[in-house]
Amino acid sequence: MSEQTATITFKDRVKDIAQDFGLPRLIITGFLVLLLVVSPFVGADLPTQISNIINRFSWNGILVLAMVPMVHSGCGLNFGLPLGIISGLLGATLSIELGFTGTMSFFMAALLATPFALVFGSVYGWLLNKIKGGEMMIATYVGFSSVSLMCMMWLLLPYHSPNMVWGMAGKGLRTTISLEGYYTQALAKILQINIGNLSIPTGALLFFALLAFLMWAFLHTKTGTAMTAVGSNPEFARSAGINVNKIRLISVVMSTWLAAIGILVYEQGFGFIQLYMAPFYMALPAVSAILIGGASVNKASIMNVIIGTILFQGIVTMTPTVMNNMIHLDMSEVIRIIVSNGMILYALTRKTEGTK
Amino acid sequence: MADSKKRIWIFRIVAIVVLVLIAVAMFIIGRGHTVYFDNKSLEYGGQTVDNVPYKIDVVINGEKVASLKAGERGMVDTMGQSFNMQLLVTNEKDGKTSKVQVGLPLPYSMDGIILNLPAMLAGLPQDAYLTEFIPTPSAAELEDEEVVTDETEGLMDFGE
Amino acid sequence: MSNKNIGDYLRRFSVPLMFVIICAVCAPISGLSPSYLANEIVTRMGRNAFLILSLLIPIMAGMGLNFSMTLGAMAGEIGLILVCDWQIVGIPGMVLAMIISVPISALLGLFCGKVLNMAKGREMITSYIISFFINGIYQLVVLYLMGPVIPIKHSTIKLPRGYGVRNTVSLLSMRQKLDNLIPCSIAGVKIPVATFIIVFLLCLVIIWFRKTKLGQDMRAVGQDIGVARDAGIDVERTRIISMVLSTVFAGIGMIIYLQNMGNIATYSSHSQIGMFCIAALLVGGASVDKASIGNVFLGIVLFHTMFIVAPKAGTVITGDSMIGEYFRVFVSYAVITVALIMYETNKRKNKSRASEQLALEQEEEVNG
Repeated sequence: MSEQTATITFKDRVKDIAQDFGLPRLIITGFLVLLLVVSPFVGADLPTQISNIINRFSWNGILVLAMVPMVHSGCGLNFGLPLGIISGLLGATLSIELGFTGTMSFFMAALLATPFALVFGSVYGWLLNKIKGGEMMIATYVGFSSVSLMCMMWLLLPYHSPNMVWGMAGKGLRTTISLEGYYTQALAKILQINIGNLSIPTGALLFFALLAFLMWAFLHTKTGTAMTAVGSNPEFARSAGINVNKIRLISVVMSTWLAAIGILVYEQGFGFIQLYMAPFYMALPAVSAILIGGASVNKASIMNVIIGTILFQGIVTMTPTVMNNMIHLDMSEVIRIIVSNGMILYALTRKTEGTK
Repeated sequence: MADSKKRIWIFRIVAIVVLVLIAVAMFIIGRGHTVYFDNKSLEYGGQTVDNVPYKIDVVINGEKVASLKAGERGMVDTMGQSFNMQLLVTNEKDGKTSKVQVGLPLPYSMDGIILNLPAMLAGLPQDAYLTEFIPTPSAAELEDEEVVTDETEGLMDFGE
Repeated sequence: MSNKNIGDYLRRFSVPLMFVIICAVCAPISGLSPSYLANEIVTRMGRNAFLILSLLIPIMAGMGLNFSMTLGAMAGEIGLILVCDWQIVGIPGMVLAMIISVPISALLGLFCGKVLNMAKGREMITSYIISFFINGIYQLVVLYLMGPVIPIKHSTIKLPRGYGVRNTVSLLSMRQKLDNLIPCSIAGVKIPVATFIIVFLLCLVIIWFRKTKLGQDMRAVGQDIGVARDAGIDVERTRIISMVLSTVFAGIGMIIYLQNMGNIATYSSHSQIGMFCIAALLVGGASVDKASIGNVFLGIVLFHTMFIVAPKAGTVITGDSMIGEYFRVFVSYAVITVALIMYETNKRKNKSRASEQLALEQEEEVNG
């Protein structure tokens, strides 16, 4: 199995991508290209649009990347992403509570989030091992339960930093916490390139590239290939002496940790920490992004992540401006809902071999 | 086989026709109107009705829905096109009360209907005492409201 | 053997039991009077029973919890919005809204059934995503097509900008018209007799339906698709019918629900009911593959008691009204999560038991 994976050449992969591209993806790509072509004519500034897309890519890339390990190990799409996001939020709030500021607070947040992600991820992975075959639905509800549990916790936990708690009551965290003075743009401003209206958050892109490369490298290690084997044929993997449960557990922990880091990167770009219900809104966009990129329920590559995030974020950022300028009718929300959920539906209904 | 298929089709068509018929019936009997009663003077075609009684009580189905002194307006929500009411007219204070039974069809197209009672009692034609009530939208109604369409809205807020 | 039975019973009724305990603890703390509670629960029983009953049929067909019941709810809302604009009031208005909702629900149910047939084995997650997808279509219709394409006359319903429906549509003209059709009140508790009669009729229909050929087929499909197919049952068609029925009932249920509420939250009513109907059914002791009418009613009583008392109790204990709100949401989700986990683990256990048995038999065959 391992040799087989290793011998897939670049050419094969290109062919694979072309084959996997599929009609819906083609439509979405065409739509985005159309938006880009039309935008200068309706008075939208193209460089601003492009830097918007690049920025949004840098915010969301890692959250989408977090899907990869679980898809590889056959656990399906990680609808339980909010769990990882909560680990990240715990790290972020703790880092501020402990008095770290500036870029330092970002790395402390990442460091503090890690143990939470490991613990939550392990429990979550253990649970998913108990219920093989029903992962996605249960992942969704694990996400919901943890978000609603944390809603109580954000109110009850003894946070004191005046920048985070409600001013009046002096306790309970605010719904949105500004990161001004903490790690807003912490990564983006590293080596940032500004040409006219075009600005590129080099640091954040490099950080994504680093994690993406590490993921790619990991998938080519022994454990990584074992993960792919477990995902594509668990029976075969078991008979080859691979500890299936352990591999799946690793993938879930990785996914959870990446989600934790992903939300921190998102926050440094966005400039705010969003608590309470916010993690709810995070899983579906990430899921549909990777699917738009060409992944399926049990197959995903780094390339899928990159293409998918660009396409998804491109549509999300371009439609409102272009539509507003063109027909003074902002239908972007509706288009986003239909496209992203339609994409997930498409992926769920395709016949996939092996596990669900 | 063909026979039973035919029967199924007949059954289906009958069911659809019945449903459509019920729907039509509902359209007719369920049309709601708001009827306003005016106990005011009215000018019609050059002549003025100024015989405004001291008080009129409007009774529908044995229930008093409005008690109007001169110059007052009352209202009631009704269903269906045939409208029956009983008017208890008191012409002068502490005077005698006379009962008048009134029944009239309401025009389907009007949501709000104003009935001028003195004109009606004076026996003027229908287009004199019956006019459409056109509501002026309140300021709050004219104000643009932002539509909140969150796909995950219902996930945390379970409502009542 | 008897020990195991007790264990099984405990497991089956663990969720209702937990809720009895939660309610028993929270109710006195909340300080709500028993008559208020009784009134509220009876009202909610009338309001929700029809909706929750609509979940039973897909469970029978082995398609799990129908998260796309919200499709029917959307159809019901569209019916009500139109009827409101046409100014058809009272019971006739409700009947007309139901008649309008039925073809829309049936069409959506058909779509849903077809999609779910392509996603066998992961019906629940798919039906959950379908509810989001159709929500997008619903918004397209209600927010952009209502006004220019589908005529909406009244400014109380239409947004001032000329297209789209307002956030809330008032149903004052039919508010509780069905509940109060046959006025009845026992010991200060108002009983919506007419609503209960309709709910009772639906229960009868469901009981009768189980005994029909189609109902039997559906149960066979629910038990084992392969066996059902071998027995000559058109599995795909049976599954589609179960979805259509469920969606149509959900649409009618939504109209009953909204006539009690008295207004439509145009963009959120449907997604709200999806979650708590499922939670209520599970609280009543149902599981993903087995649910009875009894579960529905027990579930409504327990879940809604929790729903009413938890926020109050939370406020009394912590002094923060939000805690209780979050608590009840958390409990709802936790219940669904636990039920799903129990269902999946049982399924796996049965599967491995079956394969063990098969292996044993094969071994015997070889040895013999």
